[in-house]
Amino acid sequence: MKKFLSIAAGLAAAAILFATSSQAEELNYRLKWLFNASVAGDIYADQLGYFEKAGLDVKVKEGGPEKNAIKELELGQAAFGVASADQVIMALEKGADVVVLAQIFQINPMMWIYRSDIPEIKELSTLKGKSVGVTFGGNDESILNTLFAVGHLTKDDVDLFSARFDLSPFLTKKVDVWPVYRNSQGVILKERLAKENEQVHFLNPADFGVKFVANSVVTSGKMVREHKDVVEKFRVALVQAWADSIDPANEAASLAAIASRDKGNTEDIVKLQFDSTRELVKAPVFGTIDVEAWKQTEAIMLEQGQIKKAVHVENAMYK
Amino acid sequence: MLFRRIYQFLIVYIVGVSGLLLLKQILGLSDYVIPGVSLIITIAQEAGRGYFFDVLNTLSIAVLGQAISVILAFAVGIAGRKSSWIGSFIKMTAYNIQAYPIVALAPIIFILLGDGFVPRLMIASMICYFPLLLSVLGVMSAPVKDIEHFYIVTGRMRWQLEVKIRAFENLSKLITVISGSATLAMAGAIVAEFIAADAGIGYSIRVALYQSDLGKILVALFMIGIVISVYQGILESISEKVKRVMMVPEDEI
Repeated sequence: MKKFLSIAAGLAAAAILFATSSQAEELNYRLKWLFNASVAGDIYADQLGYFEKAGLDVKVKEGGPEKNAIKELELGQAAFGVASADQVIMALEKGADVVVLAQIFQINPMMWIYRSDIPEIKELSTLKGKSVGVTFGGNDESILNTLFAVGHLTKDDVDLFSARFDLSPFLTKKVDVWPVYRNSQGVILKERLAKENEQVHFLNPADFGVKFVANSVVTSGKMVREHKDVVEKFRVALVQAWADSIDPANEAASLAAIASRDKGNTEDIVKLQFDSTRELVKAPVFGTIDVEAWKQTEAIMLEQGQIKKAVHVENAMYK
Repeated sequence: MLFRRIYQFLIVYIVGVSGLLLLKQILGLSDYVIPGVSLIITIAQEAGRGYFFDVLNTLSIAVLGQAISVILAFAVGIAGRKSSWIGSFIKMTAYNIQAYPIVALAPIIFILLGDGFVPRLMIASMICYFPLLLSVLGVMSAPVKDIEHFYIVTGRMRWQLEVKIRAFENLSKLITVISGSATLAMAGAIVAEFIAADAGIGYSIRVALYQSDLGKILVALFMIGIVISVYQGILESISEKVKRVMMVPEDEI
């Protein structure tokens, strides 16, 4: 039995190592989400050859709900990836060797959409008595809980509704306030409702002092230690590509690059999503890591019980 | 039967988890990718009780869904046993519908009915129903010529008698199919909860997936395995008793 287990484990390990070694020349870059305007800079870098110019062979791979870049980094299936701050912090707590290279979003795109027939939410107390969508287990749950704490609200003050990808509870007015990514579903919903003469607003947690960091570019500590030159070339190329992609002078090229990968949205929607993304990623220097926001994110997660001990996330930032 | 099911599951589970732990050791993976034994135990202590009740919640849906599918499958199977046009139509429809993956229809059900008890029950029943129906149709459409011939020539054949003869002659097969469909009903309920629901173990697994928490998923799988083993073991024990009571032992023939 022991011999059989050893052989089975050896074969499994060999399979993984083979998969890794066969990709040694190619560097996989796993995105967090599907190809659309929210990954404009990543597509731009790939399409316009920023990585090749830096002497790197990078394969940009689409993400999705079941994909986890940090796990792929550890398993050697990816060299770089995009992960949300809560993923990074949870991974650090469990001993993962992960380093944050750049912070893509300066404002978290996770917001809540609501129709304008509800008074504009300038005070969180306006949420009282409303039905509010939340993805239980998702990072929006942590953000919402923090908003409640900031607004001195309890869960009994609102009617929480379990949210998923299906938007019909909001469209059918079953739920008043619905979680969306401002630069993807937010744009689509806004346009869809505008056609029915309905106006919407967005509840941005940052307006109430809740800064929960969103997607960032990550790699493994091992990669930084052993291939610092590759990491640096990748980081510089990617940051430059993002900065160029959101430059109004390059808008046509950016939109063309996105359109070539995003087959699910019309040109108009892509343009609106791109405009929205540009506002959310804008920074004096693209990719700037907002260390204070990371610390606040960790504090929120600690308070919400998502992590049990402090991880000092500031130490996991690329230097 | 019951204990055999449980220890069979425990062997499979322990081998699976041991394989993962071995892989973790060999590749030097962190607890984030594959949790260690102590973390799994801690998670089991924290979440095990809640997951156990979640599995019971799912099981209640599965049992109800299975009962509905058995009743429906027998009703449709009996109606479709004839070689008349209506029988052929029912068989053709059943074969074609079962070829379509129910999971692909699930989002439509959830959009129309929302999440809650009814959609979960519907999907559990549908996933369990079609394989059952095909077996029942197969059994009910196959005449037991030796016995039926006697009743036909003596003019005493009625549809109820025909159904009884065919069911009795294939009792062992029908009982095996019914007890085996428990796993399908459970899988159906979990799939339904995974896609859209706000209760049950499928929903809890989805939440754990959002948190990339393999430890929670392993604990949930353990609870599902234990509960389904017990349920299936009970069904099989009942099946054995039914067979013993209803079937004439060969040495008495």
